[in-house]
Amino acid sequence: MSETTPNDGRRLAQDARDRVRFEEEALELADQVYRVARRLVSTREEAEDLMQETYARAFRGWRGYTPGTNLRAWLLRILTNLNIDRGRRQQRTPDTQPLEEGDYFLYNRLEESGRDTNVDEERVIERLSQDDIVDALSAVPHDFRDVVVLVDIGDFSYADAAQILDIPVGTVMSRLHRGRRILKGELASKTAVEA
Amino acid sequence: MQPYLDRALSDSEYQEAEEHLADCSYCRKRYRFEATLRQYVRHAGAEMMDPALKAKLVALRTPLE
Repeated sequence: MSETTPNDGRRLAQDARDRVRFEEEALELADQVYRVARRLVSTREEAEDLMQETYARAFRGWRGYTPGTNLRAWLLRILTNLNIDRGRRQQRTPDTQPLEEGDYFLYNRLEESGRDTNVDEERVIERLSQDDIVDALSAVPHDFRDVVVLVDIGDFSYADAAQILDIPVGTVMSRLHRGRRILKGELASKTAVEA
Repeated sequence: MQPYLDRALSDSEYQEAEEHLADCSYCRKRYRFEATLRQYVRHAGAEMMDPALKAKLVALRTPLE
């Protein structure tokens, strides 16, 4: 067994400290990463598998992370890539085209139901259950959903979302716009049951 | 409206948007609606991680030598 010099010893110790700190910071972000992961896939099981694969890979490849940069984005990049590799088995293709008036459709419908029941539009939003929102989100086609989840749930900027998904910022904006429109269309159909 | 909501406008564009909103009640209503919806989606869509999962992640750490 070769001897380590004092320098080697110091380097190894520093390396270990850096790695431990990385792991702790990454674990502190797990809740936030999960919140995004859960909405990218269909089931809790998938989300949990994805999280474990992501963290295993992150811990193995920790030297690839530049300290001081956005660790949450770095982790989510691994996660979204893994999700793509898994072939997105739960893909859903839209069978209806999003309504062109999509942006206004939900607003108008809610405004109408608001007029009928004399309730604020915002209260009508609040009547939507968590399940309604979750269902509506999972009905959005995955390319659009990825962007909506990163920006609207993950609170990432357009630039960060672009980096995570490795697409241009312009594509982020158009997919976001379209994805939100589809989401609103889905939510509108849920309020129809109540009206 | 979307980039305004996402705070993705330049300073001068932001200024223009604010000025418009000051005058236009329709847009103000739409803005409030969009902002509320956005907030609601963020809260409703957020889900907590199972503590058992957290434990599994911790167990993935490289063991100290």
